[in-house]
Amino acid sequence: MSTDTLRTAEVTVVRGPRLLSAIGGGPSLAAHRALHGSPGRTRLATLLADLERIDLRGRGGAGFPFARKLASTAQARGRATVVVNVSEGEPPSSKDAALATTAPHLILDGAMIAAEALKTRRIHLVVPDNERAVRDAMATAVAERAGERVSWAVHRADDVFVAGQASAVVELMSGRPNRPVTTWQPAAVRGYQGRPTLLSNAETYAQLALLTLHGPDAYVAHGTAAEPGTTLLTVHDGGGRRVVEVELASPWYDVLALEDLGRPVLLGGYHGTWAAAGELRALTVSRVGLAAAGLTLGAGVVLVPDCCPLTFASAVASYLAGESAGRCGPCFNGLPALAAALERVVAGRGGIAEAERLCALVERRGACAHPDGTARMVRSALERFPDEVDRHARGGCSYPRDGRGG
Amino acid sequence: MANGRLRVDWPVCRARGLCFELLPEAIELDEWGYPVVTGEITPELTGAARAAVRGCPRMALRLVQT
Repeated sequence: MSTDTLRTAEVTVVRGPRLLSAIGGGPSLAAHRALHGSPGRTRLATLLADLERIDLRGRGGAGFPFARKLASTAQARGRATVVVNVSEGEPPSSKDAALATTAPHLILDGAMIAAEALKTRRIHLVVPDNERAVRDAMATAVAERAGERVSWAVHRADDVFVAGQASAVVELMSGRPNRPVTTWQPAAVRGYQGRPTLLSNAETYAQLALLTLHGPDAYVAHGTAAEPGTTLLTVHDGGGRRVVEVELASPWYDVLALEDLGRPVLLGGYHGTWAAAGELRALTVSRVGLAAAGLTLGAGVVLVPDCCPLTFASAVASYLAGESAGRCGPCFNGLPALAAALERVVAGRGGIAEAERLCALVERRGACAHPDGTARMVRSALERFPDEVDRHARGGCSYPRDGRGG
Repeated sequence: MANGRLRVDWPVCRARGLCFELLPEAIELDEWGYPVVTGEITPELTGAARAAVRGCPRMALRLVQT
């Protein structure tokens, strides 16, 4: 095994400056402590000030400030619970799996730091039922910490797209089906057992650990003053699937080959947005800069399809329609209708008006963000590829590789 | 009095449509019979909105403050 990359059957993990710096040393607690040391005592006020300085954001589509989530949890009434989501319901995302298998103790240190700041000893880990390597890595790491005064509860998330939505995770922890339900207050205020619940993904906890272990100055040494630090991306291109750690505000040509920058790219995964061919050349891996261009980094999936982007968007929409939990009427009726409308656009048998109407009809009408995310991806494809829509309307396609003819 | 907002508990809703019959001023139905909330609940509509909340056989509608 090379010390700069870690290969499994499916994914290559590339050594990075911080989160992915441990590759080669192994995932043990001893190796982790040798590299990072031990976190000192954490005070909530200090932690909140440091978090605001580094502007740590969650990896959901909205990029919610982690400091605000932590502060809400701390202020809410009742004993808090810390929940680490190590499960990625999105098939093309492997960043949390990469972290779990190469640096599980960064995730666990971050969870312990959060628990100490919230004066709780209860930490829940949610691992993917279908990924044995991740489950085993986290179980081994937890076992190495048997002497620590924290109780760890491990839950297995279903292999479905919506299983990672916050309310679905709380349902799983409560012994009910791992599917979204309506929530009337955020989990930070009223989550597991009606108590304040700090629920974030594995990468966010690992970033929290790095902040505490090495201090805010080391954190802001990467990225820019406006957007400090690094982020994980799962990149799918001609080279297969790889997880990389990049400094925020890095140019995209650090991530993708020049040839791929000239092609359409799906950013942020199946709930993400499409960058038109060449659009990323002038942009950086910046949440703010991408938002200004109408794009989102989401959970960091960067996908360069090897076929027509409109055809690919249609396939993704069909997949997402099938991943509806089947609980909310507008979603289980609306997403199949939307997917069918997009199929008609691709086949040149329908205009975009019906697809756009259905996007507006499903948005904000579900217990979770699945309809909203699906509509975002479809809208973005229709908006970014008007020429391709026209070509399909005339029975053509500019991408011969998907068999439609040029 | 500030405007209120209707929220639907979507997994609970079964498209019975009573909310539309009781509050057509603020609710339409989509092609599958599920409610589309079309506006905020003004003070004048509050009484009718409360009736719609009580009238839902699934208890799937709530009036919340904005």
